Amino acid sequence: MTTEELKALKVDKTVDARGTSCPGPLLAAKKAIGELQPGQVMEVLSSDEGTKRDIPKWCTKKGYEYLGTVEESGYFRIYLKK
Amino acid sequence: MAKKMTIALFSGSVDKLTAAGVILGGAAAEDMEVDIFVLLQAAFAFKKENALTNDRVAELTDKKEDFLASLKRLEAPHWTEAFKTAKEMTTVRIHICGFAGKVWGGEKLDDFIDLADDIVGIGEYIDAAEKADINLFI
Repeated sequence: MTTEELKALKVDKTVDARGTSCPGPLLAAKKAIGELQPGQVMEVLSSDEGTKRDIPKWCTKKGYEYLGTVEESGYFRIYLKK
Repeated sequence: MAKKMTIALFSGSVDKLTAAGVILGGAAAEDMEVDIFVLLQAAFAFKKENALTNDRVAELTDKKEDFLASLKRLEAPHWTEAFKTAKEMTTVRIHICGFAGKVWGGEKLDDFIDLADDIVGIGEYIDAAEKADINLFI
């Protein structure tokens, strides 16, 4: 998905894990995903560089769909679909 | 079926215990099943009176103050908190080695922090390691 498409997504849940270090954002995502229904979209905000690669890998293993990442100033918005 | 990991946790130093906590977090994110065997020096760190006050580091000892200050600045959870979070999110069993416990004057489960599940012999470790997908020594 393009940055514009990602930004236009209807997000069902936002997890703000900025300020936490690895594995904080990944664990925050894991905690929050239980609240989503299949097909719903979650956005994870992280200022931890490693999360950009951890979340896509985690999605593949857990059967979620990684949609893409948008770089903001000092943090990332990572999108995935349950 | 959940992947299995064992950690032979020998170190009683906060740097290595913190690293173990980070790895546990990764294992928890993937719903792995983890068995931790608390050996020798780690049993010291798991004793109730030591868990929060012990601030020894195993490596780069001349940088200890910088390291501890960085953990604070980064708001990294104390290793006991990281272990607790992992236990809440996936199956993590923490076994105290009976011999290690005795080395540090811990005979009963109650001598150790609540994270500990039981006191076992080394046979349990070998058994779990044989069945695990990943075996770590920290």
